[in-house]
Amino acid sequence: MIDKFRAKFVEESLDNVQDLEESLLLLENDRADKEIIERIFRAMHSLKGGGAMFGFTDLSEFTHHLETVFDWVRNGKLAISDDLISLTFEAIDQIKHYLSVGDLEDEDEKKQANALTNKVKRFVSNPSEHDEVELTENVQSVEEEEDGSKSYFIKFVPHTDILRNGTNPLFLLDDLHDLGTAHVIYNDTKAPLYDAFDPVSCYVSWIIILNTEEAINEIQDVFIFVEDECDLEITEVFEGNILEQKDFQDLLESCKESGETISSEILKNVQPATAKEEPKEANKKKGVQLKETKISSIRVASNKIDELVNLVSELVTIQAQLNLYAEKDGQPGIIALSENIQKLTRQLRDNAFEISLIPLQNDLMRFQRLVRDLSKELNKEIDFIIEGGDIELDKNIIEHLTDPLLHMIRNCIDHGIEMPDERITKGKSPKGTIIFRAYYEGASVIIKVIDDGKGIDPNFILKKAISKGLVTEDVELTRKEIFDLVFMSGFSTRENVSDLSGRGVGMDVVKRKIGAIRGEVSIDSEVDKGTTITLELPLTLSIIDGLLVEVAKKQYVIPISSIEKLYPLPEADRNKIFNEVISLGEEQFPVIDLQKVFKTPSTNEKQHIVQVKYENKKIGLIVDDVIGEYQTVVKPLGKLLKSQEIISGASIMGDGSISMVIDTNRLIHNNWIQKLNK
Amino acid sequence: MGKTVLIVDDSESIREVVNFTLENEGYDVLVGIDGEDALQFLDGRHIDIIITDLHMPNLDGLGLIRKVREIETYKHIPILFLTTESQASKKMEAKQAGATGWIIKPFVPAKLLSAISRVLR
Repeated sequence: MIDKFRAKFVEESLDNVQDLEESLLLLENDRADKEIIERIFRAMHSLKGGGAMFGFTDLSEFTHHLETVFDWVRNGKLAISDDLISLTFEAIDQIKHYLSVGDLEDEDEKKQANALTNKVKRFVSNPSEHDEVELTENVQSVEEEEDGSKSYFIKFVPHTDILRNGTNPLFLLDDLHDLGTAHVIYNDTKAPLYDAFDPVSCYVSWIIILNTEEAINEIQDVFIFVEDECDLEITEVFEGNILEQKDFQDLLESCKESGETISSEILKNVQPATAKEEPKEANKKKGVQLKETKISSIRVASNKIDELVNLVSELVTIQAQLNLYAEKDGQPGIIALSENIQKLTRQLRDNAFEISLIPLQNDLMRFQRLVRDLSKELNKEIDFIIEGGDIELDKNIIEHLTDPLLHMIRNCIDHGIEMPDERITKGKSPKGTIIFRAYYEGASVIIKVIDDGKGIDPNFILKKAISKGLVTEDVELTRKEIFDLVFMSGFSTRENVSDLSGRGVGMDVVKRKIGAIRGEVSIDSEVDKGTTITLELPLTLSIIDGLLVEVAKKQYVIPISSIEKLYPLPEADRNKIFNEVISLGEEQFPVIDLQKVFKTPSTNEKQHIVQVKYENKKIGLIVDDVIGEYQTVVKPLGKLLKSQEIISGASIMGDGSISMVIDTNRLIHNNWIQKLNK
Repeated sequence: MGKTVLIVDDSESIREVVNFTLENEGYDVLVGIDGEDALQFLDGRHIDIIITDLHMPNLDGLGLIRKVREIETYKHIPILFLTTESQASKKMEAKQAGATGWIIKPFVPAKLLSAISRVLR
């Protein structure tokens, strides 16, 4: 049971963490915004409370210190500094770590966490000096704080009827134990003999000797709601921990033997070894609570949505069958019925797909964070502007989009934007700008990452490509074609891969990853003006606009997005295929015979060529017949067919038959490799 | 007949745990996500006890108590705080605002139930 709640807590906390990051970024720009500070405080408070509740003890403890810092901030006791913001970002990462692993077990991690906790603590321990303290990095010294504890004598005598209204005095003792260490002595001498014993009366009283660092009113607080139902004495008897004093232990022994009850007077005679003062700060102001937007959405597990989309797809398929049947049957009643159901099914389908879309927003936080951290590290000044963060995409697409986008933005910061003084000499503002712009265009979403950095020189790209042997020297390319060279594997304009970007990942990987979600990447740039990278993405992965073709009496779907042109292939032209290259009019391009690919007996029915894009080339696929455009729901192939690469999924046709969706990139790639191996 | 408890907390996981604990004991549970949200339940229906968090957006726990105490029907209804906050000053403030009791998170179910039955009799 608790596992379920735990999972919920983690999910909820990740939202809180995101809210924290968002607020912190806002706070960096407007350090006086009370409302944001309040939001940060509240998020920390929730993390702390929930953490303790659901077994994330380390998290709870860590956030507690952080919360204290921000309590100071919101009470105006501590100003927000760059140090504080950076540290808080670091702390957020630590919180994320706690949420993913729970309590720490690894010793090194513990050490790191301790060091961070101490850094956090320093902000409130001695705010004026924390800069100097930074120099003496000594975990031990900060950890072992001065013993500012005191010992108290508490005599708690509940009235006999205290149990009648549901109070359990033992819980109060628990609360005392939470404050520090306690020695508890109970007294049941008031209990009557069995005959007179009333089971709902309380005959017990307690003496508690408590050692705590908390102030006396913390102890009074424990009893705050039972004050009227008991006799209570709380007296401070000792500076420091009386429980450890030999005198005290002797006293306990002697009292036990003589039957004498311990009183505060006796305890005050215990000789203190040392006495120390600890200044206590108390009385924190009540914070300002401000308006926040109301929750207008509910949380649903993503597998439920997948299930819904799945069911709707089934329904769409069955509906198509019903349609076919109704048409054949010809009864007017059933035709009307089928049409109505079709209408509803379509609406249902559109609705279900809309539900599975999530806004880009969630990812943007990470990008903002990246820009912030990286620009600091590189000493560059960068404004990161987001437009269209509310654009929604299929969650499966978003999942695959994060890494390529991170890479692209990292590139912009690392290679695109120049150092401030370099920018000034170029007559630009010292502060660079990266614009992240997302918008709808038809059934696609366009994402542009635009920087105003140094840009890329197309001639440089061309030279590079030639030197790497990617193109020949005499080739004539358009501007767009030149920029497309950047996406070819084996191309990297940077000689020394820097620490930050690179890491062996080039734009070709970005291209491939975007390709995997049926998206397109293009790049455009002007020297000293900046670079724009454009992504064109489908709205959803599960619906695809395809071209239905036939090969050896079987139907296949080729995604429209990858198709360039269709050519008829009359018999007369077939002999123009030589060495798997065809010349049609002016054009010459390689072709792949799908009959061969699918290893079907060769027939003479090859009538069409579907020309598709592959990297910056065009390649023809020879098919028997082209049936037409077809919008269809793609279903993944089962486990057994997983090793299968050239088919990306299957689609159920109206008549119940299955057609395979061809992954043209894979198909061409594999074909190529095979040929090379021969 | 089961007693009706109104839970107010901005954390969904806490709401669920409290809800689970109470429903298991046969209480009828109403749930509010913050002070303002909770006020909608105070429309004259019968509520036996309110358990509320302290720090919440829109209307916090103290604000909620003050509002509740202004409504004739609910003037004398017991209200317990369920919160991580353990500052004395806060507790006093809560008592003055009209809180009946205080439970500190993390709580064990038995403690929560005991606190509730104590004020409900």
